[in-house]
Amino acid sequence: MTNSFAMDWYFITLIFSAGLYCMLVSRNLLRQFIGLEIMSKSCLLGVISVGSLTGSLALAQALIITMIVIEVVVVAVGLSLLVKNYRLTDSIDIWSLNKLRG
Amino acid sequence: MTYHLLLFILVAAAAMAAVMARSLLLSAIMLALVSVGAALILFDFQAPWAAVFELSVCAGLITVLFVSAVSLFRHEEGKTADLRARFYAMPLVMGIAAIAAWFYAVPFFESLENWARFGSRANSLGSILWDIRRFDLLGQISILAAGVFVINSIFPRRKRQK
Repeated sequence: MTNSFAMDWYFITLIFSAGLYCMLVSRNLLRQFIGLEIMSKSCLLGVISVGSLTGSLALAQALIITMIVIEVVVVAVGLSLLVKNYRLTDSIDIWSLNKLRG
Repeated sequence: MTYHLLLFILVAAAAMAAVMARSLLLSAIMLALVSVGAALILFDFQAPWAAVFELSVCAGLITVLFVSAVSLFRHEEGKTADLRARFYAMPLVMGIAAIAAWFYAVPFFESLENWARFGSRANSLGSILWDIRRFDLLGQISILAAGVFVINSIFPRRKRQK
């Protein structure tokens, strides 16, 4: 039987690869955001797992709170860009983002 | 231990469901479930502050943002040329990844555990957040301000044409 830390990280790897797979195969921008969110959740779990192992839970919690704040801003800005792009191109396909002309 | 593992399995299953769901709304709800599972794991790790943040902000606020975005794009759902076969192939890919990770990643993580036991000096959230990582707080405030600025510049107030 493997130890708890290795099992945690085994599942964290799986969750991360699920998010990465979503970002790789989807052309829908909203789905790409969902994949990004899943990846960031797995990173969050990694931080708390290492924090628990090293006995520095407070440091890990402080990092996680920082991470959550940044995550919210990333999602809000990303979704607003998505809405703006939808108004301009009438599509949420990632291939509609190939018309940047400065 | 069993409860802990079950929570991780719940999060992994919800993540897979979020990726595979055909409807975007279901994806957003499954993402909220991932957040709730992550918050429960944080509680299990004796990290209530981070868990409360995760539960309120990620499971609450981000879900609201996603659901409102989905409500805007609902009629666009079927229009993107996603190959559904790639999503249906996901359990197979994840299964292969799980087996490979079991044989290659788990021994690596076990060896990693021996290297990871350092940095356990300061142990009060308040002292870390306010004393040691005060610079981080400044960064957080500036990032929040930058987010507000970007949203404000993307959606400017329309001027009435005379």
